Amino acid sequence: MRITRTLTGAAALAAASILVLAGCSGQASTSTATGAPIIVSSVSSLSGAGTFPEASAAAQAAFDEFNAAGGLDGRPIQYKAYDDKGDPATANQVAREAVESGSVANIGGASVLDCEVNHAYYEEQGFSAIQGTGVDPFCFTSPAISPTNAGPYVDTTLTLTYGSEKLGLQKICGLLAINGSTRQAYQGAIDAWTAKTGKTVTMIDDTLSYTTADYTPYVVQIKQQGCDAVYANLIEPGYVGLLKAAESQGLDVTFLFLTSGYSEQFAQAASYVGKGVYVPAEFAPYTDPSVKGNEDWAAVMDKHNVPKTSFAQGGYLAAQDFIQVLKGMKGDVTRETVTAALKGMTTPIESPMTGTPWIFGAGDTHNSNTAGWPIVIKPGTTQWVAAETDWLKLDAAK
Amino acid sequence: MLQGAIAGLAIGGVYAIIAVCMTLMAQLVRVINFAQAGIGMFGAFLAASLAQSLRMPVPVGLLIGLVTGIALSVLIGLITQRWLPEASVSARSAVTVGALLLLVSLSFILFGTRPMTFAPIVSGTAFAVGGVVVSQVTIVMVALAALVSGGAWLLLAKTTVGTKLRAIADRPVAAELIGIPVTSLTIGVWAASGLIVTVVVMIVAPTQTSDATSLSMLVIPASAAALLGAFKRLGLALVGGLLLGVIQGAVSQLPELMLVRDWIPLVLIVLFLLWNQRKEVWDAAR
Repeated sequence: MRITRTLTGAAALAAASILVLAGCSGQASTSTATGAPIIVSSVSSLSGAGTFPEASAAAQAAFDEFNAAGGLDGRPIQYKAYDDKGDPATANQVAREAVESGSVANIGGASVLDCEVNHAYYEEQGFSAIQGTGVDPFCFTSPAISPTNAGPYVDTTLTLTYGSEKLGLQKICGLLAINGSTRQAYQGAIDAWTAKTGKTVTMIDDTLSYTTADYTPYVVQIKQQGCDAVYANLIEPGYVGLLKAAESQGLDVTFLFLTSGYSEQFAQAASYVGKGVYVPAEFAPYTDPSVKGNEDWAAVMDKHNVPKTSFAQGGYLAAQDFIQVLKGMKGDVTRETVTAALKGMTTPIESPMTGTPWIFGAGDTHNSNTAGWPIVIKPGTTQWVAAETDWLKLDAAK
Repeated sequence: MLQGAIAGLAIGGVYAIIAVCMTLMAQLVRVINFAQAGIGMFGAFLAASLAQSLRMPVPVGLLIGLVTGIALSVLIGLITQRWLPEASVSARSAVTVGALLLLVSLSFILFGTRPMTFAPIVSGTAFAVGGVVVSQVTIVMVALAALVSGGAWLLLAKTTVGTKLRAIADRPVAAELIGIPVTSLTIGVWAASGLIVTVVVMIVAPTQTSDATSLSMLVIPASAAALLGAFKRLGLALVGGLLLGVIQGAVSQLPELMLVRDWIPLVLIVLFLLWNQRKEVWDAAR
């Protein structure tokens, strides 16, 4: 009996240590840059209800390429993507970890609540963030944060504008998944559309969340209202669920979605699209070969096995914009000098991937991307194609 | 409201089938199987993942997923039977909670945390009657629910195997002593429930947003439905499941009550527990 017990104990100990060691195995970084690393971080929602892993993955890929090409005068960028798990307490904690680890800036993050939870901390610490995809409203209204994407609020105004003005839709029903305190920001976006076009939504249901599984009751409500279009601010899985419910209930309308639905997986999963699914893409559409500008991005994504989605475009752009700012800096690269350089920007950085150029600058709010390229999945197809040949721009940035 | 109620029949059918399976297991193998929906979820996710990442043909993926669902159920059954044959229902049910957590976590590791996209097996509308649409999934689910509960009742009441199963449920030691193959029949029950629930999840998952947690949590409304029959009566479990789905569907048509929709099963569980303990004196019912 004793021998068996000792053996069992030893086996358990061995198993436990193997597990621990396996978890501890870090990644060896290979790069031609061998100088003192520049520490860069990001805070993203990599697990939890709404996840956006591609933005930081794309930024990582961009930095890996930069390091392989020699880095900043031989100095590599050491990038760490923190996961806030969609939880405010964790977001709080990892933001502090990032800043205290000596990070000079948050680049390429995409989180449901990092901006809201941490913007005051970033402002206080003189720490800056270039979000790969800003999601919550504070990403666009903080002096310390400037995202590369247009954001779900500008995108909402764009998609409604396209629907009512270009597609001539009369009765639009809205479904809103509200996370945190975003309700007002969405209302503001809808009001901006009303102010421009004089039209209003027939119905708004804001009781959805990112974890809503069954969209049947909402589809039934929309049918009863007799709407000819549905606007929804969900993420990819939610859009799939909504389309499936629409198919089951025979809801044949036009769908006005946001850039969060723009990916090839979504197009293939969306076997039913009603009269068509329209999205104003925040970045130049990469699925339509007639639209130029994404070639470098696509090559880097393929090389590093990052799924090609609009979040990946945002993360990549954030990294590229940051690298450009770094190159223009003289002297030490620290949190303070980086923030000074970002706030001191006067010339925006143009890119064929966006309709309006990106800039940080000294303002209290940053929303430089105010354009969307309308794309569509037509009924009977499983691909996104460009619906227009140019950007749809909001007349004035917020 | 009627449209909402009819629309709720589809998910009601799912609740009913899982509730019937749970009632059968509670009666025959003395386990309240909290991992019931989780097993189906894992099998369905495996099938979808094989079709997606390895580009396997969908029917092959479905078959592998089905076999995996059965195997998982049998594995949990074997563990329960081998190491806890004389333990109380609570102890044996606790094992299934552990299994549920393991399955959900394993699913996150293997298939990612994002909801899976499934190729639909059954989709679209079946027919519309006076503005009320009945989807194909609704018909399939209600039919399956009737089939499973009817079949189970027939099996238990009218066949030799059913008599043996009821013997095992009533007096396991005596049954074994008179030569009834207790272990094989018990494993058979586990395998059958694994098969049924995997099929059900494979049909329902493509019609809604399907992430591991929400699919596994279907066990909660199913338990509420099974409680209507006190985990003893199959007919009431069937009725309970369908009724719960219909009530949820009808309630979600009223904007004021939309948020409450997901609490209804929990409220019913609490009401049942209160009713069950109504004769107990405060102190005694600890």
